[in-house]
Amino acid sequence: MAEYEYKDPRKTFGEALVEVGEKYPEIVALSADSSKGSGMAPFHEKFPDRHFEFGIMEQGVIGFASGLATTGKIPFVAAIAPFVTARPFEMFRNDLGYMRQNVKVVGRCAGITYSDLGPTHHSLEDVAIIRTIPGVVVISPGDPVEIKKVVHAIAEHKGPVYVKIGSPKMPVLFDENYKFEIGKGVVVKDGTDVTIMGIGTVFHKAYFAAEILENKGISVRLVNMATVKPIDKELIVKCAKETGKIVTVEEHYLIGGLGSAVAEVLAREHPTPMKMIGIDDQFASNGPYEELLGLYGLQSDQIADTVQKFVGK
Amino acid sequence: MYKLTNEEVLELEKEALQVRRNVLRMIKASKAGHAGGALSSADIITALYFKIMRVDPKNPKWPQRDRFVLSAGHKCLALYAVLAEKGFFEKEILDTYGKLKSRLPGHPDMYKIPGVETNTGALGHGLSIAGGMALGVRMDGYDSKVYVVMGDGELAEGSNWEAAAACSHHKLDNILVFVDRNRLQISGPTVKVMSYEPLRARWEAFGWSVREIDGHNMREIVDNATDIPFEKGKPSLIIANTIKSKGLSFAEDKVNYHYWKATPEEIEQAEKDLNEIERRLANG
Ligand SMILES: Cc1ncc(C[n+]2csc(CCOP(=O)(O)OP(=O)(O)O)c2C)c(N)n1
Ligand SMILES: [Mg+2]
Repeated sequence: MAEYEYKDPRKTFGEALVEVGEKYPEIVALSADSSKGSGMAPFHEKFPDRHFEFGIMEQGVIGFASGLATTGKIPFVAAIAPFVTARPFEMFRNDLGYMRQNVKVVGRCAGITYSDLGPTHHSLEDVAIIRTIPGVVVISPGDPVEIKKVVHAIAEHKGPVYVKIGSPKMPVLFDENYKFEIGKGVVVKDGTDVTIMGIGTVFHKAYFAAEILENKGISVRLVNMATVKPIDKELIVKCAKETGKIVTVEEHYLIGGLGSAVAEVLAREHPTPMKMIGIDDQFASNGPYEELLGLYGLQSDQIADTVQKFVGK
Repeated sequence: MYKLTNEEVLELEKEALQVRRNVLRMIKASKAGHAGGALSSADIITALYFKIMRVDPKNPKWPQRDRFVLSAGHKCLALYAVLAEKGFFEKEILDTYGKLKSRLPGHPDMYKIPGVETNTGALGHGLSIAGGMALGVRMDGYDSKVYVVMGDGELAEGSNWEAAAACSHHKLDNILVFVDRNRLQISGPTVKVMSYEPLRARWEAFGWSVREIDGHNMREIVDNATDIPFEKGKPSLIIANTIKSKGLSFAEDKVNYHYWKATPEEIEQAEKDLNEIERRLANG
């Protein structure tokens, strides 16, 4: 395996926030006793008058963001993922979604990255619930380069967005030429036996699984499906037609996440055998992050095994 | 402090009568609606749009306008009635209330009708949104104000108190809240369902400057509401003592008229009641 540089996703988000803050004077940052942990410190230093602290008030902060957006500001709200999705869900639905406000919500330490803190701090349903809100874009970037590109893209996009990022350092998989576009999946590697669609904090696990499979003579098409909503229907159907089998990989419940979103498309447009890798209907356990991923079959060798059995080679 | 002349008071009372007629017009169209809380806040919302707020019906998105947030969205009959009276939209639209795909839903939608600023209806959201607006116009250097109407039963929602703390923490003294204290909610008297007492002390403890008025007295509404901030650096709040279903002789202060399912006899009586108010106003 090649050597990879690893980068902190929150710090990366924070750097990107300063970049877009310089570009768009309308951008303001809102935090709920969560600014440093969300990487907002550099923004605060650079633009102290454009950062507003609200304390531990995640319902209120979504409403304030909505009100600010009605005056033309572009609020970025960042905090621990379950506390900006599950906790203020109705504010997200009504004040951002129904009111169509130009607010960007960033849930960090998403999935089970807050591993040892247990299920109160895990976020395994954020994609499922937020993607039910009409008009909200949902993105789960797969490496640090993509995180930056996503922040730039959503600053430009008009409308409510939810972005989830993790906390452990992530390998840099893409280079600066990587193109992110809202609503478009990216074929990272072509192949013919099966398509693996990965996402977010475990995209790199799928990436390395594809390398393992390649060495075993299985031809994998690897897709980074960072935008879960709007989902790239065309690419999903194309992959289904061309490779015949689809595997999804995500650090999220199997209920309502990427796997579901892909299945919703295929069931209607081109029924295709699928394998969904993620966390089944349960409160996840606690412990060291990498071990916890292993408990749910999300390590690269486990993913490779699952895919190999599925392909039957 | 602003002082209304007697003529101005009479004029506002006439506007408020017309607003009540508009409410009745919508009830006639749909045969039902949240009339109780609309009629308790009708005088306040009339005074805001006709005497206090800086708005332009021809340019409803004007950035320097004052904002109105109806946190208790179910009172929207009053808001629609005032917006129509003020010329934000054609009065004929009032007759579509309750009809399929009407531009006037049972809770307001800012994309359906001009003048509506927020999509409320789920109680407990308005004050946070209003706080964000107040912060936004302050950043822009505008002297715009944000006015909010809340229900008294609504105050049980915890999210209001998050917003109350944040408005005072961020010194949003360009915001004025009216608590429409009609002392009733769906299930009965508000202090019995979930007491908010001591109401004034609670808001003051959260850092707000508070006054208490008769919410059906135009002079008290306008004289107080044109005088904000009550204290520099603090958000302002008016506890408006009101009567639910104010103006309808058979429904005033009655809990079962929260959502009025109007019979033909009641509509006839309502018309008589409003005609009686008109006679009274004509005699000065
Ligand atoms: C979050 C939420 N819960 C419940 C309701 C249903 N509801 C509509 S009006 C109302 C009572 C409101 O009482 P109050 O705030 O005193 O308003 P009033 O009608 O008396 O003016 C309730 C419970 C709602 N709209 N939103
Ligand atoms: Mg009430």
